[in-house]
Amino acid sequence: MLGRVEKKYGVVVVGGGPAGLGAALGARDYGEDKVLILDREPEAGGILLQCIHSGFGLHYFKEELTGPEYAQRFIEKVIDHDVDILPASYVSRIAADSDGIKKVRIINEKRGILTVEAQAVVLAMGCRERTRGAVRIPGTRPSGILTAGLAQKFVNLMGYLPGKKIAILGSGDIGLIMARRLSLEGCEVVGVFELMPYSNGLSRNVVQCLNDFNIPLHLSNTVAAIHGRDRVEKITVAPVGKDLKPDLARAWDVPCDTLLISIGLIPENELTQNLGISLDVATGGPRVSSTLETSMPGVFACGNVLHVHDLVDFVTNESLLAGRFAAELSRGVRRPGDNIQLLPGENVRYCVPHTLNPGHKHTVYLRCKAPMKPCKIRVGNLIEKKLRFVFPAEMIMLKLKPDLLDKFHGDSLRIDILPLAKEERND
Amino acid sequence: MTEAKQYTCIGCPIGCPLHLEHDGNTIKEVSGYECDRGAKYAHQEFIDPRRSLSTTVAISGAMWPRLPIRTCKPIHKDQVLEAVRKIQALKLQAPVKMGQVLIRDFMGEKGIDVVACRTMKRADESS
Ligand SMILES: Cc1cc2nc3c(=O)[nH]c(=O)nc-3n(C[C@H](O)[C@H](O)[C@H](O)COP(=O)(O)OP(=O)(O)OC[C@H]3O[C@@H](n4cnc5c(N)ncnc54)[C@H](O)[C@@H]3O)c2cc1C
Ligand code: SF4
Repeated sequence: MLGRVEKKYGVVVVGGGPAGLGAALGARDYGEDKVLILDREPEAGGILLQCIHSGFGLHYFKEELTGPEYAQRFIEKVIDHDVDILPASYVSRIAADSDGIKKVRIINEKRGILTVEAQAVVLAMGCRERTRGAVRIPGTRPSGILTAGLAQKFVNLMGYLPGKKIAILGSGDIGLIMARRLSLEGCEVVGVFELMPYSNGLSRNVVQCLNDFNIPLHLSNTVAAIHGRDRVEKITVAPVGKDLKPDLARAWDVPCDTLLISIGLIPENELTQNLGISLDVATGGPRVSSTLETSMPGVFACGNVLHVHDLVDFVTNESLLAGRFAAELSRGVRRPGDNIQLLPGENVRYCVPHTLNPGHKHTVYLRCKAPMKPCKIRVGNLIEKKLRFVFPAEMIMLKLKPDLLDKFHGDSLRIDILPLAKEERND
Repeated sequence: MTEAKQYTCIGCPIGCPLHLEHDGNTIKEVSGYECDRGAKYAHQEFIDPRRSLSTTVAISGAMWPRLPIRTCKPIHKDQVLEAVRKIQALKLQAPVKMGQVLIRDFMGEKGIDVVACRTMKRADESS
């Protein structure tokens, strides 16, 4: 039921996006009957509510849904399963007392400040966007500079346009999707500028969001300065060399009234840090065990707060598990700790989870540092898997069989992505 | 006379550059793909390019002022802008249910409906 809240729960989930919804369902499916979802927004659904394009659910529902449809299917399930949802509730602090009970402090517009108790907490706060400050673009500070995701919220939920003549920095999927969205709404999108020599978005989005609308994509270019007193008037764009530094001698000006910034996402981990939980510098999220438990017992993490996902289906799979493990803990099941460290090796930027345990099946998510094709993934010297390609923007999912680690006696396992030798290529 | 068109395959992140040669409406040859999906895509793009369309429409009395909507099947690529303008003319009133048909046989095509992508209750109903 919406808005119901009690004093004590088995599992409290912070964040009501796809990760939080999945975790709540995972916990309920395991048999935990007291589950609460908290979200600071007026309704659950997370970022999906503003992602009105289709492309969600191909793996999980085997059909292509829009973000709001994917969200609603889960919200309905969660309500059917008698999970309590408390929207408009900002979680300001989590603390653990000496016997491991978690106290979650909530600020709710109508009810004021309240605290609920939980045996286990699942962190599912999602991520936020990197801003102008993260790349330190020189120039003035006029209005008209905003992140692409915020512009998406303005256009798709609140019904106002951020400007008329739009430039976009960064060619990740959010930037590309906003280029199309604003073109459909009658704005002129003057160009997308990308630092790297390749687009960070799916080729499908480059074709359908840029090419279809004749929007130029300038690879190996960046915004070197912003001009305008009250409102953005123009930007200076400069090509970059191998060192990724702008070559100002070849710079040119692009008139526009709005600059959208789409240069990556950072897991939202203030709460996590306040708990003293250890973070992974590469993901920006907490380090977790094979049960998605953080360094603080009884606190689990999943979704974009753990590492930035590009497919919501993977978020759902991961969070169903996180919810299940949280429910196990709240019902008193104790598993032996992990004894194998998983380490990123050659061309691997990160891998999650950070530790493994023999005798269980595991799903490992990883990202490469640089594109490579064709190639192979090697897990220690236990298995090898050939891949047609890897791209930094595409997360890789690797399933490990329960018996894989049975004969492994080391205490750390390295994952490498390596080019295929010539004789390995033809099959 | 043989002419050529270039496409980028959207089948996977490799994004193969596709080269299609045609004589009028007859396809002569497609090259550049690394798997069959690329060839299929080039054919589709040449014969009948289609796009799924999602956008929002104004809704009053709901929690948000915009309702996300989409066409239930892809429409002709050339008609996308005109379609958006037609849809923009819609003005809705809450409540609306997910999947509710807002326009039937849109743009004169049988079986292509414009549908609501979510339920929006009236603002005073949703607690
Ligand atoms: C613009 C964009 C486009 C995308 N397009 C696609 C696509 O086409 N296909 C696809 O499969 N995936 C896509 N994704 C990815 C996918 O949507 C995300 O990976 C997924 O939504 C992440 O889910 P989440 O639950 O971890 O985070 P979110 O959806 O961000 O949910 C986090 C929730 O936590 C709440 N929260 C945070 N902090 C607090 C706090 N302190 N107290 C209370 N509540 C809090 C937030 O309000 C939010 O509702 C896209 C993502 C973005 C941003
Ligand atoms: S042709 Fe095949 S390999 Fe090439 S982009 Fe298309 S789907 Fe990928």
